[in-house]
Amino acid sequence: MAENPFDPVTLSKIANMELRARLVVDGALSGIHKSPYKGSSIEFLEHKEYSPGNEIKHIDWKVLAKTDKYYVKQFEEETNLKCFVFLDTSGSMGYKSTGVSKFEYAATLAASLSYLLLKQSDLVGFVSFSDRVLQYIPPRSRLTHLHAILNVLAESKTTGKSNAGVILNEFIEKIGRRSLIIIISDFFDDTKKIVRQLKYFQFKKNEIILFQILDPYELTFPFETITFFESMEDDRRILADPKSIKNRYLSEINHFVETFKQSCFENQIDYWLINSSTPLDQALIKFLARRESSLRSIQKS
Amino acid sequence: MLSFLNPILLLGILGASIPIIIHLINKKKAVSHKFAAIDFILETNKRIYVKFKLRQLILLILRTSLLVFLAIALARPLIKNLGSGTAEKNIPTSNVIIIDDSYSMQYADRHESFFISAKTVAKRIVDTLTKDDDAVIIGCSGIALQVLPELDYDKKHILNSIELLQPGFVTTHIATALDTAVEVLTTAKSPVKRIFLLTDLTRNGWDPSWFKSGHEKLRRHVSKVHIIDISEGKTLKNIAITRVEPRLDILERNAEGQIKVTISNFSPVRAKDVLVQVLLDGKRVTQGFFNIDAYASESKEFFFTVEKGKDHTGWVEIAGDNLSADNKRYFTINTSHKLDTLLIDGDPKTNIYESETFYLEKALNPGREHVSPIKPVICSIQEVNNFAFADFNIVFLCNVETVPSEKIQELEKFVKEGGSVIFSLGNKVDAVYYNNALSALLPHRLHTTRTFSSDSPLSEEQPLHLKTSEPIHPVVRILSETQMHTLSSVKFYRMFYIDPTPLGNCKTVLSFSDDTPALIERQIERGKAVLFTSSIDRDWTDLPVKPFFLPLMQQLCRYVSGSMTEEVHKEILVNHGWQFPCPYDMNTIEITNPEGTQTIVQPRFIDNERSFEYNETTIPGIYAVTAGGKSHPQLPQKFPVNVNATESNLDKIDQKEISAFMGGTNLTITTSHTGEGPDVLLGEAKKTLWGSLLFLALCILLVESFVSRK
Repeated sequence: MAENPFDPVTLSKIANMELRARLVVDGALSGIHKSPYKGSSIEFLEHKEYSPGNEIKHIDWKVLAKTDKYYVKQFEEETNLKCFVFLDTSGSMGYKSTGVSKFEYAATLAASLSYLLLKQSDLVGFVSFSDRVLQYIPPRSRLTHLHAILNVLAESKTTGKSNAGVILNEFIEKIGRRSLIIIISDFFDDTKKIVRQLKYFQFKKNEIILFQILDPYELTFPFETITFFESMEDDRRILADPKSIKNRYLSEINHFVETFKQSCFENQIDYWLINSSTPLDQALIKFLARRESSLRSIQKS
Repeated sequence: MLSFLNPILLLGILGASIPIIIHLINKKKAVSHKFAAIDFILETNKRIYVKFKLRQLILLILRTSLLVFLAIALARPLIKNLGSGTAEKNIPTSNVIIIDDSYSMQYADRHESFFISAKTVAKRIVDTLTKDDDAVIIGCSGIALQVLPELDYDKKHILNSIELLQPGFVTTHIATALDTAVEVLTTAKSPVKRIFLLTDLTRNGWDPSWFKSGHEKLRRHVSKVHIIDISEGKTLKNIAITRVEPRLDILERNAEGQIKVTISNFSPVRAKDVLVQVLLDGKRVTQGFFNIDAYASESKEFFFTVEKGKDHTGWVEIAGDNLSADNKRYFTINTSHKLDTLLIDGDPKTNIYESETFYLEKALNPGREHVSPIKPVICSIQEVNNFAFADFNIVFLCNVETVPSEKIQELEKFVKEGGSVIFSLGNKVDAVYYNNALSALLPHRLHTTRTFSSDSPLSEEQPLHLKTSEPIHPVVRILSETQMHTLSSVKFYRMFYIDPTPLGNCKTVLSFSDDTPALIERQIERGKAVLFTSSIDRDWTDLPVKPFFLPLMQQLCRYVSGSMTEEVHKEILVNHGWQFPCPYDMNTIEITNPEGTQTIVQPRFIDNERSFEYNETTIPGIYAVTAGGKSHPQLPQKFPVNVNATESNLDKIDQKEISAFMGGTNLTITTSHTGEGPDVLLGEAKKTLWGSLLFLALCILLVESFVSRK
């Protein structure tokens, strides 16, 4: 049986992140002809007197006919959207049970989304963070900008604690209005604080999408023998009998996820829980389909 | 008071550290796993960790206590019943320790035999004695002790006497031992008199008849009887050779040996494929397999060829079982005896049935091939010059009228040098001639003939019969009781009276019913002369057609030739005496037992006959008989001694039966287990704890499995 090319494990074998992103996005878009983000492309800004070196094709022939003067049309290149991708690179994102780590999955997802957005000439900014901002790439719309993001992704390493609330607070001023904020994390953090911060963004008419990436082991807790569980973000170590705590653990984590999900729903924040063993294209297709339907409903209203 | 029978096993408590070590190792060896959602585990573990720790602790406690209880249970703890043992403490006691030394005590189904265990137990009992206590060790072999053993205060002496005690091959005689013990204790001065009987409790050693009066002696003279069952109360299994019956058929060139072997299975299960081997002169000559039902016996006959002209020794053996003493049974076969006899027929007839020697020859050598070791040669008096008497062992003169004078001299010389002559009379015999010519050989002078017949007009009285004379002569001893009784059925119609004055050293072998001698023997230097005062054919008597005529004649030949030893020697049981008539010119013989110990035996008079008697048949095997270091033709070269098979039956006597036998006696019966302390052996510890502890350990095991699975 041929391997699913969108399986995270299969994808992880492709070293080139761009290729990975292209594979995911192109595959995902093969069934979708129209991007929900596609709007007007180039907008006229002002006329400027022609000077040598300007492109002849930009001369406004109508103005020449009326005024007999050479004016060159100046355009402002405008995108549909300004998008900020926040990627959590805290230690907990480095967890990997069987397939790929949550970070690898999240990075591929971030790359795929960036590619998708840039392909549509949207501005894409990128932030990698743990308890502080590790890398910040301001939004650009050129497709070549993708390389900058991919380079950061390639160099990123999971370390430190996650503190998304503080990070978001830092970006309140930087992110203007009507932007798309994508946060990819496991949200093993103070979710209340995160939601509180996100409310500010929402107030400024920003759209927010949260991808919560969790490992299948985190969701099923299939351990059998007595184990020393070690924290990935600090020195904590706990001896536990998985059999005896399994039910309790599952109840706890489900409660955490459900509470977070509910909180997002109440605040009209788009929330996606993704199991890191899920094929990436499926995650992306579902996401795009959902986005399309939600945008349509907004446009109708 | 808590004590332990196997305190050394308390070291097993150290094993309790194993779960602790495992616990620590497991703790160290717990798999480390980096996990992102550790906060949730922490959240969960806060509640469960305590429970988990508690469960681990409970498991650790359960496992540790399980091992501790097991170790304690194996160390056999017991609570001493203070009520029964202390009464005798600080009071001087006299103790007779009877150790069963019968061969059933050689039973060994573990690392040591019952006998060794009994010695160990006896030593422990001695260890409990104080300086005011005296004791003596006696065996159970049933041999009457010439000197009554004395009580001794010296523990070293007592322990030494235990050490010197060896297992015997005898049967158990509890009664004899108890008798001796009572006798010893009767003279003891201590206020408390105790008997310790260390035995395997096999039934055969208990003689119920003794206890009819014996229990009264025990009750009166003994304070307490402790019986300690060394067999640990087990059902004992044994397969034994209980009988071997060798026979010998001497053929023309060789001899065919035949042995009937009886194997008994004294076990509660059927014995399958028991290999039985017959060995002759150290070489296996035949073998076979037996299948014997539980508590049953089976016999089979084995055949083998035996070289003629030799003494052979052999044994039958079975594969080893728990009791090896009865797995071998010895036998001897002698094919070297050959008695050449010359039968001088004084009244030969054309019709051989009417010849004087017809019946005698058939008696001495019945059949053709199946010949006896006695080889008769018949000749008439006319032919006698053709034979030299020295070539024969015995010469029969059967109704011979006259003997050439030179032959008479030869005959006298022949007898003096060890040969034998047997006279039988008849109508040809002239008393005057005999009295004159053969007076040097005849035991008595002949008188006149007398005729007895109720049918005949010549009769004066009723026919005479035979009877044995007292003491019973060795020749007649071979006859069975039935044959002895039928002696009176023989009718004698005519016989010679003899002169009452013997002509030499004479003995009457058989008499007529009127007390006149019928068969008389006379010792003449190294030889013998025998006179039968009637005819050896049917002319004057119906003796030749009586069933005992054959054994009587053959035995007479053996006797006079000094070859009483039969081809197949009867087996002698251990501790039973061996007796043999002393040949004329012999003063001492040497008997060498199977271990090589030689004993000089001198003849003594037994039943008015000079005989050798040897009573040191203490071990089974083949005993060699020599005279001056050499074998003697008139003595058996070897004889077999075997164990008494009754001891092979290991059926045990019930404790209730013993209690019934010893009614009124202060009796304790305890079962000895390996390593048991003297307290238990003395019946002073009543309550053992290991059963409860083992039950507790089982409960812990169940709880542990429940907790660990949860």
